[in-house]
Amino acid sequence: MQRLRRRTRATLAAAGAAAGVAAAGALVWGGYRVPADLLAPTLVLDLAVGWSFIGVGLVAWTRRPDSRTGLLMVVLGFAWFARFAVAVDTRTGFVVGVLVGSVHLSVLVHLLVTFPGGRVQDRGQRVLVTVGYLLSAPLDAVFLVVFGAQRQLGEGPPPNGLVIAPSNGEFDPSGVDLAVQGVVVVLFVSLLATVFTRWRSAGPAQRRGLTPGALGAALIVVTILVERTAVLLLIPPAVGVALAWSAEVVLVVWPLALLLGLLRSQLDRSAVSRLIVELGAGLPVPERLRSALAATLHDPSLELAYWLPERRTFVDPAGAPVRVAPARDRALTYLERDGRQIAVLVHDPALAGEPELVAAVAAGAGLAVENDRLHAEVRSRLREVQASRARIVEAADGARRRVERDLHDGAQQRLVTVALALRLARTQVGTASSAELAALLDEAGAELAGALDELRELARGIHPVLLTDAGLGPALESLAERCPVPAVVAAVPARRWAEAVEQTCYFVVSEALANAVKHAGAAQVVVEVRETAGRLRVEVGDDGAGGADVSGSGLRGLADRVATLGGELTVHSPRSGGTRVIATVPCA
Amino acid sequence: MVGAVRRCQARPVTPRVVIVDDHAPFRSLARRLLVAGGLSVVGEAADGAGALAAVRALAPDVVLLDVQLPDLDGFAVAELLAGEPDAPVVVLVSSRALLDYGSRVAASTARGFIAKADLSSETLLHVIRGPGRPVPCSG
Repeated sequence: MQRLRRRTRATLAAAGAAAGVAAAGALVWGGYRVPADLLAPTLVLDLAVGWSFIGVGLVAWTRRPDSRTGLLMVVLGFAWFARFAVAVDTRTGFVVGVLVGSVHLSVLVHLLVTFPGGRVQDRGQRVLVTVGYLLSAPLDAVFLVVFGAQRQLGEGPPPNGLVIAPSNGEFDPSGVDLAVQGVVVVLFVSLLATVFTRWRSAGPAQRRGLTPGALGAALIVVTILVERTAVLLLIPPAVGVALAWSAEVVLVVWPLALLLGLLRSQLDRSAVSRLIVELGAGLPVPERLRSALAATLHDPSLELAYWLPERRTFVDPAGAPVRVAPARDRALTYLERDGRQIAVLVHDPALAGEPELVAAVAAGAGLAVENDRLHAEVRSRLREVQASRARIVEAADGARRRVERDLHDGAQQRLVTVALALRLARTQVGTASSAELAALLDEAGAELAGALDELRELARGIHPVLLTDAGLGPALESLAERCPVPAVVAAVPARRWAEAVEQTCYFVVSEALANAVKHAGAAQVVVEVRETAGRLRVEVGDDGAGGADVSGSGLRGLADRVATLGGELTVHSPRSGGTRVIATVPCA
Repeated sequence: MVGAVRRCQARPVTPRVVIVDDHAPFRSLARRLLVAGGLSVVGEAADGAGALAAVRALAPDVVLLDVQLPDLDGFAVAELLAGEPDAPVVVLVSSRALLDYGSRVAASTARGFIAKADLSSETLLHVIRGPGRPVPCSG
């Protein structure tokens, strides 16, 4: 719905005023005789109803151009006046008046079914609205043509119930009349049910907008229902008349209730001021900002997530990462500050119809949100540091476990064998031949040599002495030489760096080589070390299977280790595209 | 003393032993060492499943069982063997010390424990006779 232009609005307002005047003119000078005591109240109430709908409708249309409710209210106002054509005592006046006589009720149905958006949203609503329209002009046309409804020329009050008065003739409804009244009653009962269901299933934010309109609507519909079924309920005609009058009185006020529902958010600016005062009262604690926003927006289910640009993720106030995605029954409003996204509100979709309120709240809470965002960022970093600290301790424990197991399975096992061989030799001195003894001693010697090899390998794994003595280049060369897969070390600057930097780079290469052999089944590995702008960059690339698990303990441990130096580890490992592990560490 | 000697003599003269260990050089040396000490080694197995199969097939008197096996650990295998009909005496061995296993050995169904480096026919027989039994019985 586009915005109502000022000129259009003025034209519609003038047309509305004119329509009211014309209707009044038709009633007074149309040719029928209106009882003198009924003329003034009829005029006053009818003009009030019509003008109320047109005037309030125009206001609603201007203030809430996104909703079609304003337009429907204006149309209802005009339809209200149009039915006064019947008061003009001519054949044309009669035909037109009868045809449009109940269009205002159809528009009323349309308005009620679709409030507050003004648009048909599902099948049930479409059925109700369509039936509502079919029951007015089309049905009246059928009555005109088929039953040849006649007018009484110039006698008595205008026809078609235009002026509310007790029916003087005896009521003698035909079967068709009864059927039509039955359909109308069913329509209005389902209308009541729809409005009630929608009100009941609405969230608090939506309910605020619905309540005033729904209350008025219920009143009007119940009055119309009672009026229509008065005869069946054996209600005396006088009561029926009173009901009809009260229905009109409600109709005068109802547009204001609708407007109140539409504009409640705008009346709620004071809540925003309260919010700002409340937020200024002290340091925000995580839950306070959220609950203050939830209270101001009347949406207890409101959630707040902060944007961390560095990590490109949303976190909750406690700093835990959260996934923010559009959902069917949740709406998202992104909050910005100085053009940068800082947070997102996940809220009742009803609030999407109150963009002004949300914008005002967002602006009012901007500083507090930014403040809380920084807190969340710190909490998120703290969580990350705590997690990595735990992982580092775990990795150290794991490494010690591995050393114990390697010692036990390797060197210890071999030394035990040596001890047994020597004991056996000892028992056989004197009984066995010297050749047998020599074989036994050879066996012991071989096991001892193996044990020594394993101990050396283990010690090198715990700490590569070449790294401390000769530096990164020679240590990496030695690592590559011992690697079962051909590994090339390209250009390592011949200088020394801080021990932590050299160690970390060494272990990155060592772990990456081990992965290339164990998991990737690589045929060739290239290691490259480069220093640029105070940062040492180590890259290990293989031609293996790729698809490395970055969250696995090995790579995770490397990333933690690199992170403790303020560096960064990146892994590119597309399936069947080889793996590149790149560590960048400050080394100045 | 006399009673102990009589009971000792009531046993088969040479206990029939099965050696269970995943380290082949140890099995080979242990076999030669025990045979040299006068025991009879009737079979070997490299894991828990093999141990069960060997016990069913050979019905040995003693199983020399490594604690660290590739499938089950020695305590679990001992438990399984204890449930067999004509359960053999189980003696656990390890390259670790008894201290490393705390009270697990005492709580197990095994008769006792020998550190691998201490293995000989004498130590094995000593354990087979159980704690508190006089040593001289082994001769």
